[in-house]
Amino acid sequence: MAGQHKYSVLLPTYNERENLPVIIWLLTKTFQENDIDYEIIVIDDNSPDGTLEIAQQLQKLYGEDRILLRPRAGKLGLGTAYIHGIQHATGDFIFILDADMSHHPKFMPEMIRLQQSKNYDVVTGTRYAGNGGVYGWDLKRKVISRGANFLATVLLRPGVSDLTGSFRLYKKDVLSKLISSCISKGYVFQMEMMVRARQFNFTIGEIPITFVDRVFGDSKMGAMEIVSYAQGLLKLFVAV
Amino acid sequence: MTRATEAAAFFGITATIYLALLFQWIPIPLPETVQEFTLPVLPWWALVSFGAYSLGNIGYHVMTFRDCPEAYHELQTQIAQAQNDLRSKGISI
Repeated sequence: MAGQHKYSVLLPTYNERENLPVIIWLLTKTFQENDIDYEIIVIDDNSPDGTLEIAQQLQKLYGEDRILLRPRAGKLGLGTAYIHGIQHATGDFIFILDADMSHHPKFMPEMIRLQQSKNYDVVTGTRYAGNGGVYGWDLKRKVISRGANFLATVLLRPGVSDLTGSFRLYKKDVLSKLISSCISKGYVFQMEMMVRARQFNFTIGEIPITFVDRVFGDSKMGAMEIVSYAQGLLKLFVAV
Repeated sequence: MTRATEAAAFFGITATIYLALLFQWIPIPLPETVQEFTLPVLPWWALVSFGAYSLGNIGYHVMTFRDCPEAYHELQTQIAQAQNDLRSKGISI
């Protein structure tokens, strides 16, 4: 279905030993069933739990042309992980998703179809529209998520329903340009990518996705996250 | 222009127009009720309206935030499949 295009998946990991084999299994299954040319670039930040070791086993199983290992010396942040990954990517499109299985690869063919139908520069998954949704969130978490998204929408007016989501398909040159212009970190980084995309007049399409909160390991959301989110948001409000 | 300057410009212009009307800097004849009763409370009305809109918006979207247990169960099945398949191929899970 993908024509002559090739899709590079960037998977930044830190302590994802349990999740990585399953997400790679799901990715390869989806790509094979839909006849999509792909590669998966694992960018491991020297996880102490042996994520890289299991990634090497998976590379042997699936082939060195499908699984690329581009580890780094330590935790260096998400933005630089993407830059690092893009440098090694041979595809003309880049998929970004969380390695913890909260994003399901089954939505990728839909995202590709939407991208191709309108030649979008970016296609982003949204939990907030259509048949999208979440699993494993209590009322408090939903209120925080909705409140944070509302605040960002009011302040930044990005024209995208799910700003903080991070399941996206980019044209490769578009992603490079966006990353190089971004100044934020963490949650806010994903948001800034959308705001900058609008700033550069890139076109953005949306696909409803389901989000299943991480099965293995802890979900990161506490008071500190909320404070740093608010700080980052204000910084963006002033900067963009 | 950044979002912050846009917002500052919007509030600056709105505030100027409002103050001009409130203190009658420009002689626009307004009905007495508007001048005496509506104008003084207008900012509070705007603030309360915005607050109500915000709460309504967030409340509505929290209420209609869809739960997707079917996605969770599908994933659980697939995780088991993946682990069995990968184990049989010699991956140490």
